[in-house]
Amino acid sequence: MPPIEAPKDTGTSATAAPVTENPVIETPVIETQALTKVYPGEVTALDGLNVSFAPGITGLVGANGAGKSTLIKILLGLIPPTSGQARVLGRDCATSGEGIRTLLGYMPEHDCLPPDVTATEFVTHLGRISGLPSTVAKERAAESLRHVGLHEERYRLIGTYSTGMKQRVKLAQALTGAPRLMLLDEPTNGLDPAGRTAMLELIGRIGAEFGISIVVASHLLGEIERICDHLVAIDGGRLLRAASITSFTQASQVLAVEVEEGLARLQAELAARGLAAAIQAGTLLVPLRGDGTYDVVRDCVADLALPLCRLEQRRHQVEELFREDEETQYV
Amino acid sequence: MSEVQAAGVIHDLGYRGYDGPRLGRAQIVRALTWHSFRSAFGLGRGVKGKIVPVLTFTAMCLPAIVNAVVVARGGTRLFGYDVYAPALRVALVTIFVAAQAPELVSRDLRSRVLPLYFCRPLRRGDYPLAKFLAMTGALLILIEVPLLITYVGTIASAKGGSAIWAQTRALIPGLGVGLMWAVLFAAFGLVLACVTGRRAYSTGIVAISCILTFFLALLLIQAEGGMTATSTGARVAGLFSPFTILDGVRVWLGGDPRTGLVADPGRYGPLYGVLAVLLLAACLGGLAARYRKASQS
Repeated sequence: MPPIEAPKDTGTSATAAPVTENPVIETPVIETQALTKVYPGEVTALDGLNVSFAPGITGLVGANGAGKSTLIKILLGLIPPTSGQARVLGRDCATSGEGIRTLLGYMPEHDCLPPDVTATEFVTHLGRISGLPSTVAKERAAESLRHVGLHEERYRLIGTYSTGMKQRVKLAQALTGAPRLMLLDEPTNGLDPAGRTAMLELIGRIGAEFGISIVVASHLLGEIERICDHLVAIDGGRLLRAASITSFTQASQVLAVEVEEGLARLQAELAARGLAAAIQAGTLLVPLRGDGTYDVVRDCVADLALPLCRLEQRRHQVEELFREDEETQYV
Repeated sequence: MSEVQAAGVIHDLGYRGYDGPRLGRAQIVRALTWHSFRSAFGLGRGVKGKIVPVLTFTAMCLPAIVNAVVVARGGTRLFGYDVYAPALRVALVTIFVAAQAPELVSRDLRSRVLPLYFCRPLRRGDYPLAKFLAMTGALLILIEVPLLITYVGTIASAKGGSAIWAQTRALIPGLGVGLMWAVLFAAFGLVLACVTGRRAYSTGIVAISCILTFFLALLLIQAEGGMTATSTGARVAGLFSPFTILDGVRVWLGGDPRTGLVADPGRYGPLYGVLAVLLLAACLGGLAARYRKASQS
């Protein structure tokens, strides 16, 4: 397919067709077949996992202990699977771990930064270990730190950084080796809400503008769904669901409405206006379909003259999402 | 267009990938070795990190400088190249290894930086190999440079080519002994230091292991009649400490038994050799095993 060139004189011309998605099925960046990992002591972390990750940003969601970190470690070639196969960027994890690791950037969940070196020095050194020649490593370290917003502070010792800045250094070190795929394990861990938003925007930008595929592991679905193209949910080492983001968000974007009385009346009124709300633990859960939903709810509450005490968008944890699916069935 | 250019354009270069050549594994190991070697001398660290390596190195050079002065004033060389100043060398190598082996390995354990190494194109054994090479290199500098200063200081006052040749012939086994020390104590220090990420503890473990075993061997040698004794007990007493093992190997290979740390091992010489090799193998094996486990966490 030839690239579509926008006319040079009129950049905003309506004739410039939007670039459509490539109709050819893209080769997955990660594929696993019957991937199983049993730790000593008969602890099964992955149980015959079959999943494939498309290029773009994919959220890997699951409760703590679902097998997210184990999957990432197998993909990095750090631990061997008990059985099954995993392929990253078309290469087998069991046989070409080194080749894969050249193309990967990994951001671990836990603290992994020495306090007594500067961010520049540290990221440069890790760039060298990623196989970059000396001058390239220096350039890329400076650039990666600039991209994560640490340009001015990069000559300070890492020990003097805030938690948010440390998370950014961790992201920068994953970026510095010029990876084609980044594996980020709970990148918003320990951040305040503003820091979380900033980190997610950064990851979204890296995925969208830098042309790097990203896998973001998180137990907070509501959080990462904002930046993901696809979601993969795992539970107990098995695939729960893998889909594009839209099918997930229909289920997960929910407006929680609490009124002091007349919950059933409000539900009926909303149903009459085309919103199928569900009652769960004294709260009305309304599927959120854009800003218009807020207006409909407000109008219904006003028309029925109900005492409204709460109206908020729900943040889901993934296990809540699936539990809720079951519960809403018999409302 | 020309107007825009004249006004100047701010280029947001955005993100650039890298498709150029990458280093092979050997070169990556070399980069890690060089980085670790530098940090063994506190380079790339704060002032605090440089105190111990600079002080031990300076102290180690003092006998060589004294020797140069003495020789220049007409005296003879003060000590053999193969023993140098034995007690001082034991003390300073202990201090250097106890302080700097944790710098190389405990620090990475403490800050949990290892996953960042193992998620890059290194193999499991590469990290301990690089650390071992770096520590060996650092110890070679600490041990061999004073020998070279001694050599230069001595030949500066030597008269005639034959005198210089004699000094050179004496120097070569001395450098060999230094190499033995560097290799064994690098492995010995690192395997003890990587037990824990707590730096104070690893320093303590290394220091105590060196000092206690050394004094144990020393006591046994004294109890068996001292350096000149020829009883079986005296001959094998040196097997209890890495310092005395290496000195036993030195004497076995033809070194002067009167100047070192141990009594002449006599026919037990090969035992010292075997034990030195076994100790080195055990240390390297332990180091490799430690990081085989660490790479999976």
